[in-house]
Amino acid sequence: MNNETLTNIKSYLSFHLGEEEFATHVSKVLNILEMTKITEVPKAPDYMKGVINLRGTVLPVVDTRIKFGMTPTVYTPNTCIVVMEVEMDGDIVQVGALVDSVQAVLEIEDSQIQPPPSIGSKYKSDFIYGMAKIDERFIMLLDMVKVFSTDEIISLKEKTDEGEHKLEKDKKVKKEK
Amino acid sequence: MDKFRLKFIEEATDNLNDLEDALLIIENDTENKELVERIFRAMHSLKGGGAMFGFTQLSEFTHNLENLYDLVREGKKKITRRLLDVTLASVDHMKTLISEENLETPEIKTIHTDLSLQIRKLIEDDSVQTKEITKTESTAKSNNKLKTYYIYFEPNQDIFGDGTNPLFLVDELHTLGNCRVFAHLNKVPDIDKMDVTRCYTYWEILLATDEDVNAITDVFIFVEDQCKLEIHNIADYDITVNADIINKIAVLAQEKTDVGLNEIQRIVKSKPEAKDSLSDLEKVLAKSGPVPSVKENVISSIRVSSTKLDHLMNLVSELVTTQARLSLFAEESSNPELVAIAENVQKLSRQLRDNAFDIVLVPIETMLTRFQRLVRDLSKELNKNVVFTAEGADTELDKTIIETLTDPLMHILRNCLDHGIENPETRKRLNKPEQGKIVLKAFHSGANVHIQIHDDGAGIDPEKIRNKAIQKGIINKDTVLNKKETLDLVFLPGFSTAENVTDVSGRGVGMDVVKRKLVEIRGEVELDSEINIGTTLTIKLPLTLSIIDGLLVKIAHNHYIMPLSAVNKIYATEHSKVINKYNNLIILDGNQLPFYYLREEFGLPEGEHEIEQVILVSYEEKQIGLVVDEVVGEYQAVLKSLGKLYKNQEIISGATILGDGTVALVMDTNKIINQFSQGKLNI
Repeated sequence: MNNETLTNIKSYLSFHLGEEEFATHVSKVLNILEMTKITEVPKAPDYMKGVINLRGTVLPVVDTRIKFGMTPTVYTPNTCIVVMEVEMDGDIVQVGALVDSVQAVLEIEDSQIQPPPSIGSKYKSDFIYGMAKIDERFIMLLDMVKVFSTDEIISLKEKTDEGEHKLEKDKKVKKEK
Repeated sequence: MDKFRLKFIEEATDNLNDLEDALLIIENDTENKELVERIFRAMHSLKGGGAMFGFTQLSEFTHNLENLYDLVREGKKKITRRLLDVTLASVDHMKTLISEENLETPEIKTIHTDLSLQIRKLIEDDSVQTKEITKTESTAKSNNKLKTYYIYFEPNQDIFGDGTNPLFLVDELHTLGNCRVFAHLNKVPDIDKMDVTRCYTYWEILLATDEDVNAITDVFIFVEDQCKLEIHNIADYDITVNADIINKIAVLAQEKTDVGLNEIQRIVKSKPEAKDSLSDLEKVLAKSGPVPSVKENVISSIRVSSTKLDHLMNLVSELVTTQARLSLFAEESSNPELVAIAENVQKLSRQLRDNAFDIVLVPIETMLTRFQRLVRDLSKELNKNVVFTAEGADTELDKTIIETLTDPLMHILRNCLDHGIENPETRKRLNKPEQGKIVLKAFHSGANVHIQIHDDGAGIDPEKIRNKAIQKGIINKDTVLNKKETLDLVFLPGFSTAENVTDVSGRGVGMDVVKRKLVEIRGEVELDSEINIGTTLTIKLPLTLSIIDGLLVKIAHNHYIMPLSAVNKIYATEHSKVINKYNNLIILDGNQLPFYYLREEFGLPEGEHEIEQVILVSYEEKQIGLVVDEVVGEYQAVLKSLGKLYKNQEIISGATILGDGTVALVMDTNKIINQFSQGKLNI
């Protein structure tokens, strides 16, 4: 499949982190695994949960909740590992993302996607490229490449002025367009 | 030289196979120009390579064949059945020539002459369907025409002064016919007395040719009065193909200063069988029966694409993993038969693993030519006099390691040349030999290969390094560092001590890149230097990258692998001893040893095991204990990378998948100790 056909696909995988519902484009999702034994890697950042054996290869697993500044994932029968392919420094790497539960594959038309919320939103727009309203629910569409290519814990919540400045700048850019 | 010959044989075998292929295809496609080109090309490489590596017979033989196909190429000759028969027979013969180039046995000699003759006939005859009868006659004729001459050629010592290269003259003789050249070097003086502008060599040459004496004198026409020249007819047939005579003369030529005409004539006369072999040959030719079969040249090596090898290695890795699972299952099943099978599989897969490893190992010498070249070119550019030697070039390493290693080594050598070796004047002043030396030494040490690069140059001044580091803000003014630590500063990013940034090195992207590259292939690098005596850089490398022999241990819920090469001893010790510790020392076998309680260092809660295991590992020259919960046993770990997301994870060098499908982490014991001690280790 080439890029064109991939971007023509309007399917998104939605999942829960706590109460919030997120979605990511299916082209980045390779697999959804049930929770399995994770081997912790000592002296690694907290959000790096460890590694698992994915059919003979070693797959790093990220606790997405910690990465997004939430409390660590509590394992339930619904906990899943979403295997994704992301680009890091020009290399394609596979990474498993721990999520509280996987919801569904949704068809979202481009027209349904609204720009990320600006004022009054609790989430930073860098990693969210849009919002979609499906059946009265708001789903945040995540840019996974950006999420996993940073080493730091992302605080999706805005707390500094800097963030707001950034947002305004973004808005300006959009207006100019 | 031998290795080049081996290489040539390998290549020639390829070429011959290619040739054979093409010939077989062209049989059904006689008008195919491309195939003719391909045949011609293969022949040409055989001829060229043969001449270069001393397979004279092969080269000359192929030369004739090439002439024949030149005609085919020009459309002057059609591809016929007979032509192909002769060519294919020739290809078979050429295969023999590779291994028995001296025409040792009479059978080979017969075939050789027969085929040469047939080829010549094919070239000469306009119609290929010439009758067979003339064959014997023409053999006799063409052979009878050949005469062997003895040529003694001693140029005056100042012959170079006229711009004459005597070697060209010798080469020219080759064009006249079969030629055996014996060069005498006994007049060459000791190296310190030698004048490079003078020619000390003289030659004795046996030339078999159908030309007359005048043709030979013509070769020397311009140097007649600048040399001693003797030409004598010593036989009326070609003695250069007679290995007995040639060998005898060659032995004499080595023992004595010069063999001399009389001696050669005596040898030739004492060998009447030389003449006999010719009549034998005529007999065989007259019979014109089937060609005597010659032992097929067994292929001693094949070339395989590296992707296939990579695939093999992957499969072996998978097999080793699966085998581990089988062993685990067998142990639990308590079925003795299954256990026996599992053990057998383990043994076999271990052998297979070792074998597969061996295949991908490449000797270090494959990189050396580039280094030689670099040193040669660069020393000229820098006006330095440097000789590069290598020891242990047959030491083998994984090909991926070799590939990654070449660039860093080039950089190190560049550094040696640029900063290390002084210019000749400085060296003279310091009472050092004007010629600088760079030595590359490779050797095995346990499961590692060490590569040492030593130069006898200026050495590195720790004071200079220190000042530079302070100036660059890398260290503080009051930082206390021993010599080794100071020298290690050069591996830090942005560090370059060259006073002048030159074209060669000193852009500040030097040694840190080298180090990073080496770390990528699990290599370690050490630097030692004495001012004005020289610098030694030692690189320690693992033999292979993909599988290691490890010790499987358990800490909390997780399994870890320690490289077995680092493990020295294992002691069981009581939990209380490692917990009620006093400055991290433990007494084992009467020795006080520092240790690390890995549970604590990994940030895990204290364990409840009564007995814990202290694993003694070597760190630099010291012994250090690492305390784990349990030792499970030996384990062959197929190394997998932890991936980019764990790129900052230094203490874990990779992971492996255990028999039960869980993941075990491979510890890098050196990094662990290094990180936990944070350089404070003073033992």
